[in-house]
Amino acid sequence: MLSTIAIESLKRRKTTAILTLLSITISISLLLCVDIIRTQVKTSFTRTVSGVDLIVGAPSGQLNLLLSSVFNIGTPTKGIEYKSIAALQSNKQVSWLIPLSLGDTHRGFRVVGTTNSFFDHFKYGDMQSLEMAAGSTFTQPLSTVIGADIAKSLGYKVGDKIIISHGLGSVSFNNHDDHPFTISGIVKKTGTPVDKAVYVTLQGLEEAHTGPKHSPTSMLGRKSADKANEHEHEHEHEHEHEHEHDEHTKEYAVYNSEAFTPESVSVVMLGLKHRVTALQLQYQINQSKKEPLMAILPGMALAELWQIMGNVESLLLGLSGLIVICALIGLATMLLATMRERYQEIAVLRTIGAGPFTLLLLIQIEAMLLTIVSAALSLGLVAGLMSALKPWLSSTYGLFLSSPLFGQSSVIIILLILGCTYLVSLFPAVAAYRRGLHAGLNANS
Amino acid sequence: MNTINKNNSTHSQRNAVVEGRSAVTEERNKAIEVSNLQFSYTKESPPIIDIKAWQVSQGEHVFLSGPSGSGKSTLLNLLCGTLTPTQGDIALLAQPFSALSNRQRDKFRARNIGVVFQQFNLIPYLSVAQNINAAVYFASTNVSKTASDAKLRHLLDKLQLPSHVLHAKADALSIGQQQRVAIARALINDPQLLIVDEPTSALDTDARDSFMSLLKDVAGESTMIFVSHDKAMESYFDRHCSMSELSPSTNHIKARGDEAPKAQERA
Repeated sequence: MLSTIAIESLKRRKTTAILTLLSITISISLLLCVDIIRTQVKTSFTRTVSGVDLIVGAPSGQLNLLLSSVFNIGTPTKGIEYKSIAALQSNKQVSWLIPLSLGDTHRGFRVVGTTNSFFDHFKYGDMQSLEMAAGSTFTQPLSTVIGADIAKSLGYKVGDKIIISHGLGSVSFNNHDDHPFTISGIVKKTGTPVDKAVYVTLQGLEEAHTGPKHSPTSMLGRKSADKANEHEHEHEHEHEHEHEHDEHTKEYAVYNSEAFTPESVSVVMLGLKHRVTALQLQYQINQSKKEPLMAILPGMALAELWQIMGNVESLLLGLSGLIVICALIGLATMLLATMRERYQEIAVLRTIGAGPFTLLLLIQIEAMLLTIVSAALSLGLVAGLMSALKPWLSSTYGLFLSSPLFGQSSVIIILLILGCTYLVSLFPAVAAYRRGLHAGLNANS
Repeated sequence: MNTINKNNSTHSQRNAVVEGRSAVTEERNKAIEVSNLQFSYTKESPPIIDIKAWQVSQGEHVFLSGPSGSGKSTLLNLLCGTLTPTQGDIALLAQPFSALSNRQRDKFRARNIGVVFQQFNLIPYLSVAQNINAAVYFASTNVSKTASDAKLRHLLDKLQLPSHVLHAKADALSIGQQQRVAIARALINDPQLLIVDEPTSALDTDARDSFMSLLKDVAGESTMIFVSHDKAMESYFDRHCSMSELSPSTNHIKARGDEAPKAQERA
């Protein structure tokens, strides 16, 4: 009965109730949006790299190394010489090694020089391997494998030729026109910076910069040469039915990208035989006297980076929280403002047996009803909004919304808002209670 | 019983009935017993009510009159338990009403006292059914919904209200219909005490007579306190009590009739 009275009472004051409802809905939606973006960014952030035990580069800074190697943001200050790479490769603790050479672009997208070991060993998310949406990994020195977003936004397909440009930036005046790369494969969408990168062979990249160079099987390819050859055979087999690329595949069926010896690379990602040795090896590398190097643990660097970003998201969350509090105070003000016109109603309810506490409860039910409806509307609104903005968030910010959209934190937020509603509605509720204590038959006089 | 006035109505037939009822009043159980009752809105202000003793028997229909500001509504609020006496006792239906806790008083009021207001005071945004069922809800009786609905329909029949008004909003009703719904709400829990606060003040003579006939008809054996400043109405009741006789020491309040509402606002 009390909820019926509360609903009918709100319907009676529908203009103020709807305005209050809108204000609370918008503020809760804002808070939920911030929370979802925060959670999804964090998820997206932590899934960028997994399974890589150490990242080694020239001494700069933990974050610089992480940003350049994993997020393709910025460039390392200096490269790593081949002899250091060879030393790392020969280290007994190292299981695999991914060399990365950075610094070029293709139409604004970062170009990463690497070997097929990248596609074999790099993992993201929950230890997921990279998969090919089309084509195969590198099949010849001037092969390139592109991310899903590039293929989509630039409309590339396997077999297309692309020109890379020296330096960063979307406009470059130094294009490597003489060395067009042929797209050999497109990586299936990962929701990580891989989707926005152009992967070329180290050999092709170096040729583009310095001209052709023939190298014997190198230390770089020693551990994985056999595996890489098997890999290439597998790909050859996989694509034997793709008539369009038959010639291409046959010609470079035995291409071993690891066989090339680069002069230097920008960064090296290491996978260890035993993860527990990561700290020990990190120490060894950092203390290396042959060439100054820096090794970082990706997990720790990610945590440090998130800590910096976390302050911003906490600030946003705090501001959104304040907006919700303001909306709830607006709700309390609306209920207080209507209290004068409700004196007669309070008197009637008292006289037919409602106690002052019942009146307090009635006002709180009204406040709670408004907030519950607002929260439900907000959940629907945010779900709709996120669904509509999903492609835009993905293409513009590289933010991939994963399900479920609303998590534990959304539930906590709504419970907290209900708690706050209970508290702020005490003001009008206590006013009704006090009025109820003295309300009598002549309340309308 | 010191303030009982014999009804001097010109309606001789009704007088006979009234006198007959008065004769048996002494033998009946008491519905209301007031002793040494004092009430003031603030500690500093003089008492607005000061009644040494007053009794109303069960089933008795009492007409309470007095000018504006004489404390009629305050007395009714004390009898309803929405105000607490500053001093003295009120016993209702043999219960020490003024000694009950606020919660007990609210429950007692919901179950045993029916109130008809001056302006009928239906909750305008609720339907007729919701207005009446609110009184059932607050009484928290163990009456089943079926029994309650049957009772409601019986009352509507008796009050000559068509069943379709049940779903109409209270503010969509005519004044006459609002009167009847207000009576139905007051009687839905079969109260033993019915308090009626100047419901006829805005009615013309015909409408007033019609309302009174209906009220007397449906009130049945309930004890009724009917408040009005229109002394012409006393002929409908068993006896007439005036505030000046009930609470003689507070007559000075009449001179400043606005005392009570102002004081209540302060409270």
